[in-house]
Amino acid sequence: MGYLWHETRQAFPLIFDGKSGIGGLLWVTVRVAVISTSVALVIGLPLGLALGLGRFRGRRTLQLLANASLALPSVVVGVAVLMLLLPQAQFGSLRWEFTIKGVYVAQTILALPFIVALTAAAIQGLPPGLIGQARALGAGRRQLSALALREAKIGVLAAVIAAFGAAISEVGAVIIVGGNFEGRDQTLGSALLAQFNYYGNVPAMIAIGIVLLAAILVLMGLLTVLQQRGGGIHLRFRTA
Amino acid sequence: MGFIWNELRDAVPLIVHGNPQLWQIIWFTLQVAAIATAAATVLGVPIGLAIGLGRFRGRGVAHALANASLALPPVVVGVFLYILFLPRAPFGSAQLIWSREIVFIAQTILALPFTVALTAAAVQALPPGLLGQARLLGAGRLQVSVLALREARIGVMAGIIAALGTALSEVAAVAILGGNIYGYNQTLASASLYEVNGGHYADALAIAIVLIGLILILMCGLGLLQHQGNGIRMRFRTAT
Repeated sequence: MGYLWHETRQAFPLIFDGKSGIGGLLWVTVRVAVISTSVALVIGLPLGLALGLGRFRGRRTLQLLANASLALPSVVVGVAVLMLLLPQAQFGSLRWEFTIKGVYVAQTILALPFIVALTAAAIQGLPPGLIGQARALGAGRRQLSALALREAKIGVLAAVIAAFGAAISEVGAVIIVGGNFEGRDQTLGSALLAQFNYYGNVPAMIAIGIVLLAAILVLMGLLTVLQQRGGGIHLRFRTA
Repeated sequence: MGFIWNELRDAVPLIVHGNPQLWQIIWFTLQVAAIATAAATVLGVPIGLAIGLGRFRGRGVAHALANASLALPPVVVGVFLYILFLPRAPFGSAQLIWSREIVFIAQTILALPFTVALTAAAVQALPPGLLGQARLLGAGRLQVSVLALREARIGVMAGIIAALGTALSEVAAVAILGGNIYGYNQTLASASLYEVNGGHYADALAIAIVLIGLILILMCGLGLLQHQGNGIRMRFRTAT
């Protein structure tokens, strides 16, 4: 136990030392997670609604595919995005390879399946009569969507939480697309990997790991509180 | 289009002619996925049931922690396990670093949160009367658990599917702990990362395509199984 204790004790000063650069890494990490989750939400919510409410052919196949895409490997996303962004490829003229913009794109793609698949699942889990009744009473597509979103709010927020979790913790795509450049597009996760690969400084690794875990706990906790409070907002909505 | 097309054209023969190395990697990937998913199911479902059904103090906190651990970053798991298994550290005598076994351990740890948190969520989402009634009628803890598992089958299955997806697609912990040793303990995902790092984009793409194919087959297969559960459930209901 002595060894671990010794290394961990050296890690703590690093966390609160402004010169260790952990603050900057934290900022990049939060920015990447928030931006990717937001973009994924804007793109994914309509897709999830269509998948959950739609009555078109091939809906079940699409849903199976959406569920399977939850296991989209970050490395595969990284390779695919990098190959599209390299100078000689389609989107090469954007010059987004090895920049934080490329990282945003990759993490958005990784977060998207969670929004789509879990929103669809939450809507399908609603009592079957509810949507049917609204349809029978002549609700349009927009009204149906609003109703479904309101009723399935907890599930939709679970989707946001899962997407955020993926965006903040995945590292495979970040290192491939971003190139893991210190101070430019390094997140806490990719910095930890760099620290492991190139420096092997155990206290620094422990410090970065602790900060990343703490950030995840705080942010996921906040989202969970938001989700659970959804019940209260819901009620007020109804009595109004 | 030219660049991607060229790389893709180079990738296809690599898959079709399938060198023995590729088969070895596929086989190891399947082993990792099967062992990690099975272990995570055996360990995680009882814990999930306890959190979902239990009426002990701190249950809310346990649930929140289980949810937050869904975002456990593979890099952190990899580096922390590595530090724990260093020769001087508590588990150093096991000498597991860069072995195959430690890859199994790492992927099990990463898959575990999904079976725990999603089982707990599925059980909690059951109609509140159901379990209360069973308890009133004198069902013991085991009987209530069996009933809850049967009724929440779809949600529990979703947890197992998510665990499998993680075990198949996560790469950071595998690369860190296993050392990404060519032909020994590489999974498809870590082998793809290995090829990207070497600048062999065609090989990386070939491996990525195989990985996506494997994920699609396994995830869709389990997804179909999950929905068959629905049919059994309905039969069950009309029978009573």
